[in-house]
Amino acid sequence: MKIIINDQEVNAVYGETLLETSRKAGIHIPTLCYHEAFGGEGRCRMCMVEVEKNGLKKVVAACTYPVTDEVSVRTSTPVIDKIRRNIIMLLYKCASGSPLLQDLFREYGCSDNSLQEDPEERCILCNLCVKACEEIGISAISLIMRGTDKRVATPYSQAAEVCIGCGTCARICPTGAIPMVDEGRQRTIWSKNFELISCERCGSFFATREELTHMASVNEALDIDTCLCENCRKKMVAEKISKYNCS
Amino acid sequence: MMLTTSPDTKKILVCCGTGCQASGSLEVYRELNKKLAPDTGVQVETYTKATGCNGWCEQGPLVKILPDDITYCHVAVADVEAIVEKTIKNGELIKKLLYRDPATKKQVKSHHEIDFYKKQHKIALRHIGEIDPASIEDYLDWGGYQALQKALTMSPQDIITEVIRSGLRGRGGAGFPTGIKWQSCAGQEEPAKYIICNGDEGDPGAFMDRSIMEGDPHTVLEGMIIASLAIGAGHGFIYVRDEYELAITNLTRAINDARIHGYLGHNIMGRDHSFDIEIVRGGGAFVCGEETALITSIEGNVGEPRDKYVFPTAKGLWGKPTVINNVETWANIPVIVKDGAEKFASIGTDKSKGTKVFSLVGKVVNTGLVEVPMGTSLREIIYDIGGGILKGRAFKAVQTGGPSGGCIPADLLDLKVDFDSLTEAGSMMGSGGLIVMDEHTCMVEVARYYLHFLAGESCGKCVPCREGIRCMLEILTRICEGKGEAADLDMLEDLGKTLEIASLCALGKTAPNPVLSTLRYFRSEYETHIRDHRCPAGVCRSLTEFYVDPEICNGCGLCTKNCPVNAISGEKKEPHLISQELCIRCGECFNRCNFMAIKVK
Amino acid sequence: MAGNASQVQEDYMSVIQSYPEEKRYILAMMQDLQRQCNYLPREALEQISRHVDVPFAKIYSMATFYKAFSLVPKGKYAIKICDGTACHIKSSAVLIDQIFNTLGIKPGETGEDGLFSLETVNCIGACAIAPVVVINGKVHSKVSSSGIVDIIRSLGGHENDADN
Repeated sequence: MKIIINDQEVNAVYGETLLETSRKAGIHIPTLCYHEAFGGEGRCRMCMVEVEKNGLKKVVAACTYPVTDEVSVRTSTPVIDKIRRNIIMLLYKCASGSPLLQDLFREYGCSDNSLQEDPEERCILCNLCVKACEEIGISAISLIMRGTDKRVATPYSQAAEVCIGCGTCARICPTGAIPMVDEGRQRTIWSKNFELISCERCGSFFATREELTHMASVNEALDIDTCLCENCRKKMVAEKISKYNCS
Repeated sequence: MMLTTSPDTKKILVCCGTGCQASGSLEVYRELNKKLAPDTGVQVETYTKATGCNGWCEQGPLVKILPDDITYCHVAVADVEAIVEKTIKNGELIKKLLYRDPATKKQVKSHHEIDFYKKQHKIALRHIGEIDPASIEDYLDWGGYQALQKALTMSPQDIITEVIRSGLRGRGGAGFPTGIKWQSCAGQEEPAKYIICNGDEGDPGAFMDRSIMEGDPHTVLEGMIIASLAIGAGHGFIYVRDEYELAITNLTRAINDARIHGYLGHNIMGRDHSFDIEIVRGGGAFVCGEETALITSIEGNVGEPRDKYVFPTAKGLWGKPTVINNVETWANIPVIVKDGAEKFASIGTDKSKGTKVFSLVGKVVNTGLVEVPMGTSLREIIYDIGGGILKGRAFKAVQTGGPSGGCIPADLLDLKVDFDSLTEAGSMMGSGGLIVMDEHTCMVEVARYYLHFLAGESCGKCVPCREGIRCMLEILTRICEGKGEAADLDMLEDLGKTLEIASLCALGKTAPNPVLSTLRYFRSEYETHIRDHRCPAGVCRSLTEFYVDPEICNGCGLCTKNCPVNAISGEKKEPHLISQELCIRCGECFNRCNFMAIKVK
Repeated sequence: MAGNASQVQEDYMSVIQSYPEEKRYILAMMQDLQRQCNYLPREALEQISRHVDVPFAKIYSMATFYKAFSLVPKGKYAIKICDGTACHIKSSAVLIDQIFNTLGIKPGETGEDGLFSLETVNCIGACAIAPVVVINGKVHSKVSSSGIVDIIRSLGGHENDADN
């Protein structure tokens, strides 16, 4: 089917979200909580766009709005720009320590005001870390409490038995809010210490023992006895292929 | 148990709603049963029953005696003996237990003669206070399950058409037409469908759903069973706040009795239709009143709502088509089906049909539940039914719709209340809370109160609601503390608009209403806080100083007795004095004083 | 004590196992356990997690989201001050002050002797008899600032020495 985005006709698949349609067509809609791997949840509301259907206009979240009609969409209007500016302002106030939000605050031309800032905080509760942890089958962290007290934590804010220290949460975090410290052989994340394993080839510390065990349990093809970092593993595969090709 | 009694039988109805229970009605009920037990030799044939809430909680415990039509108020255990000896045996009235009309100073024999009841029109509350909620026989005696019998003779489409023609709109808040909702769900191809009763009443100041579930549980079940026929659902859920213990007890019993009588379960009334109902206890989260949050909560998750671009009627509980209506809506269904759509549609306004139950509370003389036709003016509700403002003080505003609603000022008292007129006035019907505020209510503090409530009750999922409420609360708090800035009011309006448009669910979209409506009607009060550092109502503690007007004070000592910090001193019958050092500005003395001798500086 | 601990565990288990191993009964299990133990002990939450096969972090997320649950034990007498609108404008805040003056505890706290805990709750639907206070299920209506002190005394509460 076809829909109109910013006066441009684009192809859409029935039932996909407006954000997916736009991205395929190369039309930018800003997001903070969206990741292709998990789909939209409508948390950050940066992707609000104006949809017109049968002459009626409404503002919707592109990441959750399903394309089921031949709608006409505007990704930027004065109302929408104002909403995005306010969202950035609100997020900057609660996560003032995040360099990303500091940049966005300037980029969106937010005017400063006297509302309190929290320079210690970086989390914007986008939930990507929780989703990622769930996706790899661990679920060591979750959103706890509610309302203005909501935050990401392990149960009782203590070292979680199930955490494998893989650091996926820290890597997916858009605002650098999850501290992960690697010092020599030791990694510390979510109040838990892990021993890091070194790569047999290059010697770099690349993963925790728990992470490798978990990987092996979900992926039988993985050989835990040869401990190789991702780089060296790729190299090894490449070498095997070239040997095979030569012979 | 057969309840059909001879016309001479004295029926004694003891109100055992939550309000009356708190005032000791269960003890009165037990004492009555003891004094009237067969072995006590009372010659009069009697039948005592515990009923649901009469709505007149202010006067509880209430005892009604039929067929004499006598209503006794504030009945204590000690009064029971006199009631049995004088009234039951000899038909004598006990004057001190009768209601005394404050206007005419006359005692009134029956509650039917009191304006509080006379001006009401009961549909949803029709049985409450009359029947024993624990007895399905009593419900049947009052014509219960006749609507279901009728519905069994109708086609599903005829039932839906009847509900559409009645013009019934959902009583839970937004006022979506109930019949249209059913039609949309019935049209879904998926064979598995669900029905949900939303009993997660959370608006502070509203308790009509509690009263219906406690006082007339079968009417809710009957409404749901009729809907199950109409849309073809096999399973239903009632989601009730866990705090509503009596409602859960009475509903559980009603479900069991309905199963025994064949109204619920396999092959209802011998027909080829099966439907059963399960109770789910809520966990204490206001946001679960939002239907998508409620659905995900039943599924066993944290109650975060989702965007409603696809309605629950298409994809609801476990992804199946689901009809979800609130308690009061369900209570209207049996009446519509039994008496016909025309009769229902003849009541109310053009676009809001039928009646609405309001819980009239706050600084008003008669507090309690009132049911009036849509289109009744606020003035009629507050002054004719409610008896005006407590202590003859001045009316300032009425808050409708709970945290999603707004405050309506005195010059809109003649507003005819329906879904659309309230929305136009910047407020909302919500579930029907009407909280009356007098001159000692600070509108800025009221807005702060609601935002504080919402800050704790927002699920925290979307940014505009979570962070927007946080920031609006920060601004309101500093205004109440006398630290407001000139730009604050514009910022509140600006943020409010973002919340209205961008929030994910209705909680966030309506969260700015308490602020925007008070800014619209009481802006000068905000300005006085910011500019003059003064709270004219004497509520905001940092900006208030109370003093005793020595000309008026007669030294009755009531304020001294109630001051929580012993800040008031003075000899009996002499003007008293408030120590400004000790005073914590709670306003208790101001509220208590019967002579308006406490003044705000 | 070890025997006691395992007895307690069995008690949790009997509550939890009375429900099918389905996610949708988590809330009901928590409510029953909250009633039984006066709070949700960590071990009980861990057992729910195993019973319904839902990650512990998700169970913890629910236990902290819903206000009906407490993760720390409450006092023998749990004082709940209704802070619904009707109670609020009829000065429920004064009752909180008065309890602090008498027992030295604020909302969310439990006294040192474990006798009283204080919390504010959302509207309990008894607005017509505001302000209301609920203590272990009993509703007290139209409570005045002197009335709350009388109620506390009748339950064995003593004046807070620090205040005098």
